[in-house]
Amino acid sequence: MKNDLGSMLRVGVKYCGGCNPEYDRVALVEQIEKRSGEKIDFTPYGNGKVDLILAVHGCKTACADMSGFEGTEIWNITDIKDAEKFIGEVVNSGTGI
Amino acid sequence: MGMMTAEQYEESLGKLNLVVYMFGERVEDVVGNPIIRPSMNAVAKTYELAHRPEYEDIMTVTSHISGKKINRFTHIHQNTEDLVKKSKMGRLLGRETGCCFQRCVGMDALNALSIVTFNIDAKYSTGYFKRFLKYLEYVQENDLTCDGAMTDPKGDRGLPPHKQPDPDHFLRVVEEKKDGIVVRGAKAHQTGAVNSHEIIVMPTLSMRKEDEEYAVSFALPSDADGITYIMGRQSCDTRKLEGGTMDQGNLMFGGHEALVVFDDVFVPWDRVFMYKEYDFTGQLVEYFASYHRQSYACKVGVGDVLIGAAQTAAEYNGASRASHIKDKIIEMNHLNETLFCGCIACASEGRKEPSGTYCVNTLLANVHKQNVTRFPYEIARLAQDIAGGLMVTLPSEKDFRSPETGKWLEKYFKANPDISTENRMRILRLIENITLGTAAVGYLTESMHGAGSPQAQRIMISRSSNVAEKQRAAKKLCGIEE
Ligand SMILES: Cc1cc2nc3c(=O)[nH]c(=O)nc-3n(C[C@H](O)[C@H](O)[C@H](O)COP(=O)(O)OP(=O)(O)OC[C@H]3O[C@@H](n4cnc5c(N)ncnc54)[C@H](O)[C@@H]3O)c2cc1C
Ligand code: SF4
Repeated sequence: MKNDLGSMLRVGVKYCGGCNPEYDRVALVEQIEKRSGEKIDFTPYGNGKVDLILAVHGCKTACADMSGFEGTEIWNITDIKDAEKFIGEVVNSGTGI
Repeated sequence: MGMMTAEQYEESLGKLNLVVYMFGERVEDVVGNPIIRPSMNAVAKTYELAHRPEYEDIMTVTSHISGKKINRFTHIHQNTEDLVKKSKMGRLLGRETGCCFQRCVGMDALNALSIVTFNIDAKYSTGYFKRFLKYLEYVQENDLTCDGAMTDPKGDRGLPPHKQPDPDHFLRVVEEKKDGIVVRGAKAHQTGAVNSHEIIVMPTLSMRKEDEEYAVSFALPSDADGITYIMGRQSCDTRKLEGGTMDQGNLMFGGHEALVVFDDVFVPWDRVFMYKEYDFTGQLVEYFASYHRQSYACKVGVGDVLIGAAQTAAEYNGASRASHIKDKIIEMNHLNETLFCGCIACASEGRKEPSGTYCVNTLLANVHKQNVTRFPYEIARLAQDIAGGLMVTLPSEKDFRSPETGKWLEKYFKANPDISTENRMRILRLIENITLGTAAVGYLTESMHGAGSPQAQRIMISRSSNVAEKQRAAKKLCGIEE
């Protein structure tokens, strides 16, 4: 999938601190990456310019520090259902952002 | 230097010249010693997680003095969010290590000193705060682990320091020089002492004028001349020497404590943060204790591990569907999450001190720690109930591996047919480790006495509870006018 400028969509991944996560956040991101195939370039946040920040919170408290991302689109994931939504709306349909 | 990795931390410890004794002998290779090493692994985890993106949000923070990214263990809390993250960090590390990871006590000493040095200066124009900030910068810049050394041997508990038959039972200044002071005494029960780069000494109780030479706080490199460490024993400690992978329960991690002796040790002035200001000793003890009582958030993480182990044991035993087992797991969770409530609440209700540091709510921190003196014991009791007696009568791993006896253990200790006997033995050993082995030092007795025995919290609860306001509310509702 492409961004507005026609290049591959770059997604910066930002995790919460993981004090008591209800699922394996890293494994979930790996799954999303796998299912996205070549469509999206996932990268740790802060590693250059990104089109979207994927905020991966371990639970509904969703307390990852999102300061510093003002002006960038943020997609929050707090459970596996949110991940499916991300895959459906951003990865597959191409209309997510 | 910036934030150290786990490998750099281990390397840095190897460069220290610590004088350590265990079992009557000098330990030459402290880092490599099989009894000490698991405790080093636990501290190393605080360095490792700080470099992992999935933990950095809790494990790291921006320094308010340098603006650089630092490990949270060297941070001075700047808001209630910092305090909440500290509690969450305790749970995280308790769960990742299943034991005491030792580094919180130094963080609590730094935060307490950031408040009290400022307050002493405000009264006596002493210049301690500036000194402290310089020291803090050094700790942050080099990402150091500090031992927070408060507890003196204390001799006769009924006597103040100056009346002790042996004047060294509380650490004191024995000589004042142009360039510093010379101290003598000891600190007992020191968590993580030989895994630390620095030792921060504080007085152990509130003092009066007569105890002036005992009213001293300072920091020294852990390998300063004249400091000797004598390692404390932990129940089942020598299992770590047996070489197997089952009987120690927790394969990687552990804690340690030591008696630290200061035999006329020189402290330069730039590392002295209190000297003779006896009227601030009570304050320093209270701030440190409040922070450290919050720090027992770590017990929630170890509780997570114990609950997980108990549930696993129930499944391996084939008893997990029994209603009373399910109810016991619910009760363990209820107690564990109640502990979590306490450490989050005292953090969320924290307040700003004149120095700018945020401190936890004293009453709630003490209530939390009072719960910690009880609930882990009940959680441990329930875990032992669920585990069954085998957790204490299980033969050794060597018997399990032996061609003569292994087949009998394999046959007679099989329970759930889908689970290997070895895995059943492993989970029972972990429960043994946490509830009466090496990790019980941290999960149980440290829960009781660490950061002050239960009575110390009751005194603080009594002092911090506004009972008069409660009486006013009650009297108003029933129409009493006085
Ligand atoms: C595993 C572990 C780790 C620890 N880690 C550290 C550390 O890293 N740094 C550190 O500085 N300290 C540490 N401590 C020390 C801890 O703070 C002390 O154990 C605690 O303050 C109690 O002191 P004590 O052990 O000397 O017991 P005692 O003070 O002897 O208490 C025993 C009992 O006597 C009562 N008692 C004592 N004195 C009086 C009195 N005057 N009047 C009435 N009752 C009294 C107490 O309430 C308690 O019930 C640790 C302790 C443990 C067990
Ligand atoms: S989002 Fe949940 S799991 Fe992640 S740090 Fe916050 S409270 Fe902990």
